[in-house]
Amino acid sequence: MTTKQWVKITPESVEVSGKTLATTNCGAALLTEVYRAHVNDYPKFFKMDELSKLGFLATELLLQAEGERHSESDDRAIILFGRNGSLVCDRKYQQTIERRDDFFPSPSIFVYTLPNIVTGEIAIRNHYYGETAFYAMAHCDEQLIRQTIEASFLDPATQSVICGWVDCESDQQFEANVKLIYKE
Amino acid sequence: MEELVLELKKQIIEVLNLEDVQPEDIENDAPLFGEGLGLDSIDALELIVMMEKSYGIKIKDPSAGKEIFKSINTMAEFVKANRTK
Repeated sequence: MTTKQWVKITPESVEVSGKTLATTNCGAALLTEVYRAHVNDYPKFFKMDELSKLGFLATELLLQAEGERHSESDDRAIILFGRNGSLVCDRKYQQTIERRDDFFPSPSIFVYTLPNIVTGEIAIRNHYYGETAFYAMAHCDEQLIRQTIEASFLDPATQSVICGWVDCESDQQFEANVKLIYKE
Repeated sequence: MEELVLELKKQIIEVLNLEDVQPEDIENDAPLFGEGLGLDSIDALELIVMMEKSYGIKIKDPSAGKEIFKSINTMAEFVKANRTK
């Protein structure tokens, strides 16, 4: 397996394969700033929950670093890992249904109450038809992640994987550490 | 009526997170779905919730939404005729 590019996003900084992007904001505002500066052609970004925004943005930067954009592909998998899953969005949805006198379940929040939606958002954006998965784990276990990625390459259809840690504890506390790994 | 139209535009922008859209960008007669604002089926459900929450209007037949949410003008007419708050 060969790591081609990597992206690390924290509430304070964004790094693409060793190069730190120039930013001025922190937390959720940082994600919006980076979206506007480096992507800015996908308005659906603003409808996403924080987890999806994080995973989407990390992947956009990863694919920009790769160079030529590959789309309509069935040989690229998306396999992400995280601790909190969609908990931020789950709580937000809970707030729309917890009071009997103010019971208005929000459909647009509800659709993000599953952590694997972030992998779907990435696949939809790039027209990737390969394997997608989101695994919940108590902490970032590099060995287990590596084993999972190795297992995904057992499928002869998979030639590359967008993978790594995407975790969102709140809109001010999150971490993405995403890599683009090729089979050879 | 003009006041209601503006109120609806502001609410749609807020509820549907249309970050780069201003009220003046939404034409009163332009289709909200498809070619217009490009809203999708989840947005339609969110508009149904908005109608109940803000105006006390329960839309029980989802297919009726097609006519009601055709444009800002059709929405405003419907709200004016059916609002309970």
